[in-house]
Amino acid sequence: MVLLLLKRIGFMIFTMIIVSMILFMLLETGLTGDPATRVLGNFASDEQKELWRDQHGYNQMVVVRYAKWLGNFATGDLGTSIRYKGPVKEVLLPRLWNTAILGFWTFAIMIPLSLTLGVLSGMKEGSLLDRGISVFGILTTSVPEFASAVFFSALFVFGLKWLPGTSSMASGFEFKQLILPAMVLVVYDFGYVARMTRASMAEVMTSQYIRSAVLKGLPYRQVIIRHALRNALIAPFTVIMLQINWLLSGVIVVEFFFAYKGFGALLLEASLNNDIALLEACAMVAVVVAVSSQTLADIGYTFLNPRIRFS
Amino acid sequence: MAEKKDKLSTERIHPGVKEMEKSLADGKCSRREFLRTTTLLGISVTTAYGLASAILGKDILPDLISTAHAAQKKGGVLKWGMQVMEMADPATYSWTEKSIVARNIVEYLVETGPDNITRPNLAESWEASDDLKTWIFHLRKGVKWSNGDDFGADDVVFNFTRWLDPKTGSSNLGLFNAMLEETGKKDKKGNPIKRMIKNAVEKVDAHTVRLNLKSAVLSIPENLYNYPTAIVHRNFAKEGGDLSKNPVGTGPYALSDFKVGEIAVLKKRKAPYWGDEAFLDEIRFIDLGQDAGAYLAAIASKQVDGIYMLDLTTLQAAKSIPGIKVVSIPSTQTGVIRMKVNKKPFDDVRVRKAVQKCCDVERQLKIAHQGLGVVAEHHHVASIHPEYFKLPALKQDIAGAKKLLKEAGYPDGIELTCNVGNTDGVWEQNSVAVLKEDCAKAGINIKMNVMPSAQYWDVWTKAPMSLTSWTHRPLAVMVLGLAYRAGVPWNESSYNNPKFDAALDEAEATLSVKDRQVKMEKVEKILQNDAVLVQPFFRSVFTAISENVVGFEMHPTRYYLFRKVSLA
Repeated sequence: MVLLLLKRIGFMIFTMIIVSMILFMLLETGLTGDPATRVLGNFASDEQKELWRDQHGYNQMVVVRYAKWLGNFATGDLGTSIRYKGPVKEVLLPRLWNTAILGFWTFAIMIPLSLTLGVLSGMKEGSLLDRGISVFGILTTSVPEFASAVFFSALFVFGLKWLPGTSSMASGFEFKQLILPAMVLVVYDFGYVARMTRASMAEVMTSQYIRSAVLKGLPYRQVIIRHALRNALIAPFTVIMLQINWLLSGVIVVEFFFAYKGFGALLLEASLNNDIALLEACAMVAVVVAVSSQTLADIGYTFLNPRIRFS
Repeated sequence: MAEKKDKLSTERIHPGVKEMEKSLADGKCSRREFLRTTTLLGISVTTAYGLASAILGKDILPDLISTAHAAQKKGGVLKWGMQVMEMADPATYSWTEKSIVARNIVEYLVETGPDNITRPNLAESWEASDDLKTWIFHLRKGVKWSNGDDFGADDVVFNFTRWLDPKTGSSNLGLFNAMLEETGKKDKKGNPIKRMIKNAVEKVDAHTVRLNLKSAVLSIPENLYNYPTAIVHRNFAKEGGDLSKNPVGTGPYALSDFKVGEIAVLKKRKAPYWGDEAFLDEIRFIDLGQDAGAYLAAIASKQVDGIYMLDLTTLQAAKSIPGIKVVSIPSTQTGVIRMKVNKKPFDDVRVRKAVQKCCDVERQLKIAHQGLGVVAEHHHVASIHPEYFKLPALKQDIAGAKKLLKEAGYPDGIELTCNVGNTDGVWEQNSVAVLKEDCAKAGINIKMNVMPSAQYWDVWTKAPMSLTSWTHRPLAVMVLGLAYRAGVPWNESSYNNPKFDAALDEAEATLSVKDRQVKMEKVEKILQNDAVLVQPFFRSVFTAISENVVGFEMHPTRYYLFRKVSLA
């Protein structure tokens, strides 16, 4: 197990280094415009730009600059944001926290809901309940977030006037403002996880050991809870872990639409404003989250299914 | 109110006022022009209205009846939906939004109202020499900076000196060209490098400043309300040069919280303010991102009391929401599809003219801006500008465009790329799309490059062809000086025509509106004939406020002031 952990962590670091190299090449080598102009503005003289490049090491070799940049990154110095005129770390951490709150409530609602409905559906494949849940799941997953965001806004903000239209939390945290963005994410993601759970449950329910358990005379409830569920939840577990990665990109649309000050909106702003340091930090955070959640999923998988072994 | 405090601003009455009186009496200028020009020459608004009433023999009432009234309540928090951008240095602002937060903290020497009349502010009065080359500004006494210092001539001299130093990078260089001289050197683009003329700005005494111009300019007071001309403290640069970190101002509000992209909170200033006490205790500017729909949703659900702008995509929806007032005003805001005259293929005037000839201005206004505005004539002077001279309408001429293209060496047509950033809404993209359709008829294939608004400002002065949204300026000479005078920072087309500059100087120096209109004919014709820009229309602007907002005045440049605003 220790070897497995070390291997996974080593692979994680390797992936991050490769991604950081690609990021650096794309963003720091003038491929997307002159960094000096971005920082000093269009009216800066050539002398000013040259001085800035010199002061900030942009006249050094790319390899040297990359090594320094990586060193700074590893020690927590994420640079300065052009748009926010301050350290990237100070901007990034509160935004990550906001997205974590949104993500928490999305998952807190979506996981129990989709697992319960998925299991109920899979228990009686082909039943009216199964068909109803499947159709509903397909329907919600087919509607992109930007469309459901418009629909829910029209209904709950402009029509019924029950909910606030934006989620900027400008006067402090207000749970009411979190409802619409969380609702859009839950509705979109619920169908996918529920259908995966249903498929897994349906497969387990047709397996030999379940049939044996039923024929052995075990109560149906016991068969489901003790035998079927544990095996049926292995596949959804992987899917749910993948949803953490999806959430990081999925929140971009939702946070933009509802003006929620989270990581997704920050990533978009960094990109739209050519804020290289911020963009690099956001991209690296996304990579860290993606790789870490996958590693956790792999490790968790071995606990859920002891038959799976890694060599 | 400020007008009550006005007094006849100077003992000496400029001879131009007499000329204007005669013009008004003879019917050679409108009442509006009389008011506007005489106030620029230094007489107070009250006096100007009095004179106009006496000459016309009837009571002249202000165009703008303020919604403000004596029963306005004090207190409350106004929430305003608007992007919150960095606002470090007022001299280098290039977004009006930045100045909307800042103008409640720092102030201007004058104020040009929604009626386009310029009134005293930090300058209590001003006077101009007969030849309009010397301007004396008498500064208001007893004005205190929020750090306790007295406001005075040193502050004004510091600001002028800083604006006119090319190293500052301020667009004000284009406005105060008459205070600049050439150094004899040229920049890499071949434009002359300029510097401030020695003694162009002089401290006469602690509360008097004199401007010495090399040529006559009538619009000096109006120029001093252009948004990058806010007066900062004389130690602004020494103390870091960042208003958001060191918000020292003379204004009625103080900055208490500021987070770019999130929120700016202004609280009523504790130290006594020189003007009337503001009504609101607090103003919160809330950043809701770049999606127009979010702003509409926020005002519909009463999360904000007003928003910076309504664009065409949300205008109709806003009108149907109860509790929201849609406010609009005619303006000279416009989209300019300009061609860089020093870059191929636009260095050939025939190519530029061919593009211009393809444009159908009526169709542009109807499709791109839903008919909300007035058509233009490709010279950036609007019919609501006082100095506008009507030129014959330019009709679409596809055959003429084809002929010019052939002469220019493109008999089989040409491929062009036009950048557009939708910085003021998707109407910009629609305008380019309409031009693309029209140009295709003449064999000009325009490739549209739609880019994020923030990225657009990285290329707006560099791209060979692009649509830039220009805001309202009360006088055409102001915007022409900023955008088309040789070598000024915002000359995005790199236009360099000494004849145009000379004609503009002449128009700027002309007092009589009739004479100025005649001189503008030449200016407009040069610009139109050189085909620097395709400019199909001037657009009306809109915003939305809740019904509980009292005293809000819509401004054609969106220079919103909140000191007269209260909540019901």
